[in-house]
Amino acid sequence: MWEVREILWQSTPYFLAGLWVTIKISILALLFGTSFGFAVGLVRAVNVPYLASALGLYIHLLRATPFLVQLYIVYFVLPATGFALLELEAYPAAVIALSIYTSTYAAEIIRAAIEAVPKGQNEAGLSVGMNLAQRMWYVILPQALKMTIPPMGGLYVTIIKGTSIVSVIGISELVRVGENLTMREPQFLLSIYLAVACFYFIYCYPLLRLAKWAEGKLGHVDVSL
Amino acid sequence: MDWIIGFYNYRVVATYFPAFLAGLEVTLLVSAWSLVIALTVGTMVALMNISTRRWLNLLASAYIQAIRSTPLLIQVYLVYFAVGVIPLLDRRLTELEGGIIALALNAGAFMSEIIRAGIESIARGQVEGAQSVGMTYLQRMRHVILPQAIARVIPPLIGQTAVMIKDSSLVSFIGVTELTAAGLILMSERLLPNEGFLTSAALYLVIYVIMLHVSNYAQRRLSGV
Repeated sequence: MWEVREILWQSTPYFLAGLWVTIKISILALLFGTSFGFAVGLVRAVNVPYLASALGLYIHLLRATPFLVQLYIVYFVLPATGFALLELEAYPAAVIALSIYTSTYAAEIIRAAIEAVPKGQNEAGLSVGMNLAQRMWYVILPQALKMTIPPMGGLYVTIIKGTSIVSVIGISELVRVGENLTMREPQFLLSIYLAVACFYFIYCYPLLRLAKWAEGKLGHVDVSL
Repeated sequence: MDWIIGFYNYRVVATYFPAFLAGLEVTLLVSAWSLVIALTVGTMVALMNISTRRWLNLLASAYIQAIRSTPLLIQVYLVYFAVGVIPLLDRRLTELEGGIIALALNAGAFMSEIIRAGIESIARGQVEGAQSVGMTYLQRMRHVILPQAIARVIPPLIGQTAVMIKDSSLVSFIGVTELTAAGLILMSERLLPNEGFLTSAALYLVIYVIMLHVSNYAQRRLSGV
């Protein structure tokens, strides 16, 4: 028992370094994925001809495949297309794959929120002579964005859990750090993985509570994820 | 034609196609078993959650929060490595069994939340009506509440099943040769990542399209059209 504590205590700097990488990747993916997803969701909600259905196909294709396969495709298949720009290092490949994955969820959240704003709001904007951009900017988005906050909290947790998978292309995030430590101390494998689970819990649980609290304050939007 | 062969050599894919079909079969097998266990676990945990006994509530929410705040990959590792020799059977857990249990425990937590929402949406009068004809708790649940509750949440349960099928890709990490692993085999044996991963992705797409149709059909039937 004492030995386990000793090993875990000595490994704490490694765990913290892994946690830092997990935090960095998840925040980058959240930022890029949400920005791109916002644009996609807006186009889908406004129903821009052709573009909206093309982006619908984009969302369906990404929804259909597991993140692990998407990561393999970004990391192994894109370089084979022959474009120098697509020969990605592990770190950018992980961030890009995770951002693309995030964007489909973010797009659906934003679209659902925009569609949840009562129709009368849009009509009231129309009746005072606002154009589409004005109605979006002054009337619909301020109300819709508030509703996106609770599901965004849930999405953030999904991204954090998704970062565990990028360990497979050699990023030293929490899971990878745990795997390396189990190679050095195989007899404490279970304790090491439990410690890794605890670090994820510390990062995710407050976010889930916060999302739940925000849902009570700001209302619930039905998003099919 | 040369360009296509260079990027995606369908002749190699044709020779490896039996391996992909075997992988597809394992993916469906893992998902089917996990679905059965997850629905059972999910219903039990949902009942624990709405029970009037405080310790059952605590147990249920501890399970749900622990699953929701940690990545599936770590859960797969913990189940696979934690369960040593199975009592009575006197043998170790196989990779397939470990993967199924981890995936089922993961999906069970999410499904219990869905089922609980379904139970809570049933009108109070249904419980009172069943009570007034003298049904016990189990009879009320079995004959009155659960049939209505589950029917109401079939569409979100199908959505969660689609997520679970994609998540089954993670059991490849503990050595189950399912659909993603079939792609990995083609990459490592022939150094052909495009053929491997794009074929896996295409087969996941087939599953997704079927699930989409099942979901639409269920929604049509439930809305009574």
